[in-house]
Amino acid sequence: MDLTPTAEQEAIQASIRSFLESELPMSRVRAIAEGAPQELEAPWRRAGELGFFGLAVPSQHGGTGYSVIEEMLLFEELGRALAPGPWLGTVLAAHALAKAKGDREAARRADVQAGRSRVALIDVEEGASGSEAKDDRFTLRDLVVADAARAELLLVLHGDAVRLVETSAAGVGISSGQVFDATRPVARVSLEAVPAERLPASAHALRRIGTALSCAEAVGASARLVELSVAYASVREQFGRPIGSFQAVKHRCADMSVRAEAARAATIYATLSLRDESDDRDFQLSVAKVLAADAFVQNAADNVQNHGGMGYTWECDAHFFVKRARSFEAILGSSRRHLDAIAARLRGA
Amino acid sequence: MDIRFTPAEERFRAEARAWIEANKPTDLPDSRDLAVRRDFDVAWQRKLHDAGWAGISWPKEYGGRGATLIEQLIWFEEFARADAPEPATLFVGLNHGGPTLIACGTDEQKAEHLPRILRGDTVWCQGFSEPNAGSDLAGLQTRAVFDGDDLVVTGQKIWTSFANIAEWQELLVRTDPEAPKHKGITWVICPMDAKGIEIRPIRTMSGHDEFCEVFYDEVRIPRRNVVGRINDGWRVAMSTLSFERGTAFLAHQVRLCRMVEDLASLARVTPLATGAALDDVEIARRIARLRAEVEALRSMTYRSVSKTARTGVPSAEASIIRLFFSELQQRVAALATEILGVDLLDLDPAGSRGRSDADPVRGEWAWRFLAAFSSTIAAGSKDIQRNIIGERVLGLPR
Ligand SMILES: Cc1cc2nc3c(=O)[nH]c(=O)nc-3n(C[C@H](O)[C@H](O)[C@H](O)COP(=O)(O)OP(=O)(O)OC[C@H]3O[C@@H](n4cnc5c(N)ncnc54)[C@H](O)[C@@H]3O)c2cc1C
Repeated sequence: MDLTPTAEQEAIQASIRSFLESELPMSRVRAIAEGAPQELEAPWRRAGELGFFGLAVPSQHGGTGYSVIEEMLLFEELGRALAPGPWLGTVLAAHALAKAKGDREAARRADVQAGRSRVALIDVEEGASGSEAKDDRFTLRDLVVADAARAELLLVLHGDAVRLVETSAAGVGISSGQVFDATRPVARVSLEAVPAERLPASAHALRRIGTALSCAEAVGASARLVELSVAYASVREQFGRPIGSFQAVKHRCADMSVRAEAARAATIYATLSLRDESDDRDFQLSVAKVLAADAFVQNAADNVQNHGGMGYTWECDAHFFVKRARSFEAILGSSRRHLDAIAARLRGA
Repeated sequence: MDIRFTPAEERFRAEARAWIEANKPTDLPDSRDLAVRRDFDVAWQRKLHDAGWAGISWPKEYGGRGATLIEQLIWFEEFARADAPEPATLFVGLNHGGPTLIACGTDEQKAEHLPRILRGDTVWCQGFSEPNAGSDLAGLQTRAVFDGDDLVVTGQKIWTSFANIAEWQELLVRTDPEAPKHKGITWVICPMDAKGIEIRPIRTMSGHDEFCEVFYDEVRIPRRNVVGRINDGWRVAMSTLSFERGTAFLAHQVRLCRMVEDLASLARVTPLATGAALDDVEIARRIARLRAEVEALRSMTYRSVSKTARTGVPSAEASIIRLFFSELQQRVAALATEILGVDLLDLDPAGSRGRSDADPVRGEWAWRFLAAFSSTIAAGSKDIQRNIIGERVLGLPR
């Protein structure tokens, strides 16, 4: 039992961090959010060259041959950087395509792993109203999807089926407008009997990976929020002393770090249970989601408060985190849904 | 990273589990009489000792088990999982007094006390807090002056758990009133039967005599009872704090996890207007959240022990875990009282009313609820923990 990263994992995480600090610093994230989405293109391509999208794909399929643990480290860093872009959909598509056979799939796989195809993630419950799978065609009415407007592909999880849709296909409607979270803009997607190739993968398995990785992203962001608050509270002075010396502020920061640490431990444990296919992996993932949502939402709010009037401005980065926290809450099952899953388990006990 | 234990560790777990299951006492006395409790603890500790399980974290050369950190963690986990009783009255000797002697004691002190502590022959108490020195422990004022071969102690301690049944006390006294406050303190072994000591029990909010006031009127303690150097008692006291390294926390976590299961049992059998409380969406979600938090506590503990095992130094996150645990425990107990509603008010002290196989601990919630108040006060209050996290973990200015 060891919940600390190995020296190699530490090195991987450090190199991802330095990549993101130079290629996707907050100034660039801000530019992307403020209307220059093309700013993401170079870092995205570079991430593809470095193999970030296929970390857990076996090397015989062109991946890096690591596991979901290294992907977790990647997503923690993405969260820390508040990186825009459809990382989750793209990484999950690489997973889904890993076992696909045939030339067309191999080409797709190469495109996804290289970052040439960006993939937005769509998660629909089986039998959800307005969704229908018939033969190789898929219909979907008006769903809110993150990062759909700039994706080449849509990865559709429907019940346990996994499908890929090209956004350029006839019958695909994607409309975007003003969005709440500009670092992860949503669009409204409708599919009208569009060609949707079925992949030999399990949507349930992908949802699990997606939950683990998005929790890791939230953990990274929550920890970053602690750093931002501590840094500001150490230099901002009022009443002749740094505000971090006031207990009200100091204790708020302490609570932020408790939340971040709880979320991190839960996420690491859940991801390891997932890798090892432990019997309780779904429970552990629900635990991680509840704790990570708590940490992200609450730390983002506390960070605004710690920054005072500055925290309320557009110029301060605090609001981007507030908004992203809500994006996190909304994907792959709200906290409420995960709490209900835990409650069902308690009822059964 | 790995959540699995090695085959050797799994063998250790199987051995520990089998032994605890076969040997744990099941006749925990219902009485709150400390003398009764003491006899019970002593018998249980001797059994542990004779089978080689006493002092799981003590080095082998002092008779301990010398277990690795991971083995300690497994031991505490199994101990709590079996619901084996903690020898509560022996806690200070086993986890504070003994380890302090191991770290700082003379050979004579070690030879005299360690075997007895380990066997459960002697009860120790901790005389640190004073009426005017609680969170600010270093402000303690109980005076000690040297007179020949003796140290003469005058002053008062308070909140001393089990002082009325203890033979020995780890006592902090001020030996140099002129020095800066951390520099004039001495750590001394005080025999509780010495002339001039008066002990008055203090009743707690749950109605039990758990801790005491202790008065010292020119109490003579032999100089050879000083542990570590004179005026270096602060460092001696702090050296013990790093001894336990967080593994015992697993026992707390497992017991708290069981408490959440108890909470679900309570909610399953307690009717609301609309059906069982556990079928109420709001209550079910609140219990589920507590269940999630207690699970996260385990992962945090595993992680902190992993870090310590890797680096050899106690992890800085210990305060984070303590704070998270103590507040969580209060939330669990508070929700139980809420679910009980008016039934809480009608619970008999023996805790038997309304008890059933489906809800075996119904009567204990009142006591658990009250007892939980102490967890954010004793051994460093929650505010002090937040100060420590803010200043030592996060590096915020004082
Ligand atoms: C059940 C129980 C058993 C105990 N057993 C023992 C024992 O065996 N031996 C022993 O020596 N002691 C024992 N104690 C004492 C315990 O260690 C003290 O109660 C504790 O250190 C707090 O000190 P205090 O009670 O003087 O409270 P105070 O220090 O007076 O604190 C009162 C309040 O002020 C807050 N506060 C104080 N300082 C600060 C600060 N700097 N910043 C923010 N808030 C602050 C505290 O958080 C608390 O809420 C026991 C206590 C309990 C409850």
